[in-house]
Amino acid sequence: MHSIDLTNCDREPIHIPGKIQSHGFLLAVNSQNFNITYASENLVNHLGESATALLDQPLQNLIDLLANLGVEIELEAILALGKSQGFDLINPYKLTIKGNPYYLILHRSAENYILEFEIATLQYDVQHIIGKSVAEILLNRSLNGLLEKAAAEVKRLIEYDRVMIYKFQEDGHGEVVAEEKNEELEPFFGLHYPASDIPKQARELYKLNMTRIIADVYTESAAIATFNNDAPLDLTHSTLRAVSPIHIQYLKNMGVASSFSISLLLNGELWGLIACHNYSPKFIDYKAREGCKLIGNILSSALEFREAEFNNENDQVYQTAVDALSEQLESDPEIISALTKHKTNLLDANSATGVAIIYEKKIYTLGQTPAMEQLEPLINWLKLTMNDSIYYTHQLSAHYKPALSFAKTASGIIACLLSKSMGELIIWFKQETLATMYWAGNPEKPVEKSEVGMLNLSPRNSFESFTEIVKNTAPKWSTSEINGALKLREKITNTINKRADEIRLLNERLKLAYEELDTFSYTISHDLRTPLTAIKSYTELFLARNKNIEDKNVQLLDRVLVGADKMRFLIDEILKLARVGRADIELAHINVQEMINDICQTVVSAYKADHMSIEIGNCPAIDGDTILINQVFTNIISNAVKYSTKSINPTITINGEEVNGEIIYKIADNGIGIEVDNHDKVFELFRRMENVKDFEGTGVGLAIVKRIVERHNGRIWFESELDKGTTFYLSFKKL
Amino acid sequence: MMSTPDIFYVEDDPDYAFILQTAIGEIQEELKLSIVEDGRDAIDQLRLFSDEKNLPKLILLDLNLPGLSGLDILKTIKEMPHLKYIPVILFSTSDNPQDVKASYEFGANAYVTKPDGYNNLLTCLKTMHEFWFLQNRGLN
Repeated sequence: MHSIDLTNCDREPIHIPGKIQSHGFLLAVNSQNFNITYASENLVNHLGESATALLDQPLQNLIDLLANLGVEIELEAILALGKSQGFDLINPYKLTIKGNPYYLILHRSAENYILEFEIATLQYDVQHIIGKSVAEILLNRSLNGLLEKAAAEVKRLIEYDRVMIYKFQEDGHGEVVAEEKNEELEPFFGLHYPASDIPKQARELYKLNMTRIIADVYTESAAIATFNNDAPLDLTHSTLRAVSPIHIQYLKNMGVASSFSISLLLNGELWGLIACHNYSPKFIDYKAREGCKLIGNILSSALEFREAEFNNENDQVYQTAVDALSEQLESDPEIISALTKHKTNLLDANSATGVAIIYEKKIYTLGQTPAMEQLEPLINWLKLTMNDSIYYTHQLSAHYKPALSFAKTASGIIACLLSKSMGELIIWFKQETLATMYWAGNPEKPVEKSEVGMLNLSPRNSFESFTEIVKNTAPKWSTSEINGALKLREKITNTINKRADEIRLLNERLKLAYEELDTFSYTISHDLRTPLTAIKSYTELFLARNKNIEDKNVQLLDRVLVGADKMRFLIDEILKLARVGRADIELAHINVQEMINDICQTVVSAYKADHMSIEIGNCPAIDGDTILINQVFTNIISNAVKYSTKSINPTITINGEEVNGEIIYKIADNGIGIEVDNHDKVFELFRRMENVKDFEGTGVGLAIVKRIVERHNGRIWFESELDKGTTFYLSFKKL
Repeated sequence: MMSTPDIFYVEDDPDYAFILQTAIGEIQEELKLSIVEDGRDAIDQLRLFSDEKNLPKLILLDLNLPGLSGLDILKTIKEMPHLKYIPVILFSTSDNPQDVKASYEFGANAYVTKPDGYNNLLTCLKTMHEFWFLQNRGLN
């Protein structure tokens, strides 16, 4: 016994089912001798005569039978006319049997004329409605608009519960690209169906028959009786052709009672279908079907030029995005920001679902990308293997095995090399085809057996075989996407180069400005001293010569002197700082031990801090400018002493150590400490902390220290806790 | 023949010159002070003293002068045979170590940072006067 699955469909001879749908009846007449060759067994229900009784009888027997039922029809003349002029001219031929309106639909199948009778149900003229529908449909400029409107108009015409436009993709699987449905129904829009759902020969039939109705999946088909059992009647063009039981089961599983489809052709190939479902049996009158056929034809021809438009539409969108990105690169000085932070970002430039930029040793990502630990090896692989400026694939895992682990997010990539030497690149990622689709079924769900043991056929069960084809594969990149990436790459590298030149220039100017600023502060402070001295001197002289002025006036002049002194002090501090910038560094091997001993003595006596315990540990020599380094240690040790004079058991420890080619000095005190919030501000000029108001100082000392350390290419940092103490670290390169 | 001053002072800042003059007057009225504002005038004047072999007892040089700087004048003085033994004190607002170093290298006998204010100047000059004119009279 064969297992039943949808792959069997490919082998099923669906054009010769030997049965018809039972909503009409069928006869076939030999085109040579006009003898009746085939008759459907349900003839008896419509004409009251058994099919077998008519078999191998002359056509006249049928004419007589019809005549008895009150139908006057010159069948021979009609067949003759059809033969010479074509049956389209005649179809449908309306007649009334036993008071019921019928259509006779004729066509030729090999040596037989096939006569199909079906009930006519339409009470009004459908032509008028169709004319209006077509006009409505064609009003739409975009392809999507066109499809949506077509679905809507077809639904209006046939009044089915659901009308979908189903588009076949390159690989044969289908996607619902437009849908018009009753509100209460679950939407199928955007769903994908495996290629096997509509087998090959069924597709061929769709190309031949522009419409196809399955009137009621729940009625039994009627067998076709014949005396010639070896030659089944070819029902390729039959409107009544019975439906494959596999397809019937498929529809039943979807809950569909009536199904109607209109073929959409593009350049002679099946582009898609207008697929209509009704959840209760609903027959469609021949004329309404013909109207739908017309809509299908018009839509097909509209597709022919709009399809090209549709493809170009994407290209246009990508092109616009690339242009927008180029403009952003011009206006935004930050490359990364220009590519990721604006209205248009790198993801708009193509169909990618994620992108990573590797720039200045950092990785920036947008959208869905492999995880960092997957990304890094991929980047290294690309850096190693990329020879051209661009590399792209829609099957990454075929070239780079580790990509299997992230095939869902990145089966397709475009990698653009920005700089090989710097290892800078942009990588676009595109999801696996499977991941981007909403399958009309749960691929995880196993095939179930129904009660009668027949396998439950539905789109769900045909998923597996399709998966194999599209696994680890993304939709292909288009030429315009590749070109766009190349264009963007060129723009970015140009911008980077331009930017680098600008930065180099800016750096030089900054250096110059810095030097000028030092000279300026030096000169200005120096020049300020002279008038300040004059102010102070004249004031003092005036006081010296006028001993008899009132005390309160003397006090006023004293304020002038205090102000002048304060200003002088500040100017001196600025001078010191400016001098650090101007001074040439004269490198010497400094005996730090000696230097620190001297400094400590001086500082202790200056602050009258004899009660202070100073522990001096290792003091390795360093290379630097003796005067400037002396200033560094003096300032740091002075601060340590100054800010711990009021502590209980004030202790200062000084120790130097060599760590990885650096000599790091650690100067720790148990003084007042620095508040965490202020950690950033400590080295700023004239910045003094809240808690040092009671201590003298200007806020220049540490600025000077930092400047000197930096001029020695060293580092300075500190750890501190309020009221616990501060530890400063000074690091100098060992030469 | 013009009278030779005890102190020859080169200073372009009239304020400081005035203050200094006042201070010296307060210390010893008869001490003669001659003030020249410009480097070239100073050198001409010094040449004249040299020619007349009538030298000042002390030269005070401001460092920052328009045209020739104090260091230029110092250099010239130390190159002139008669003048080079006159003690020269560089008298400047600058306390830049480089200036100090250069001054000594050019032969300054002392480098004094200009005292700040009249009172400090007076104290400073008193000490200087004591040293140069009273205690070490023999040197002159």
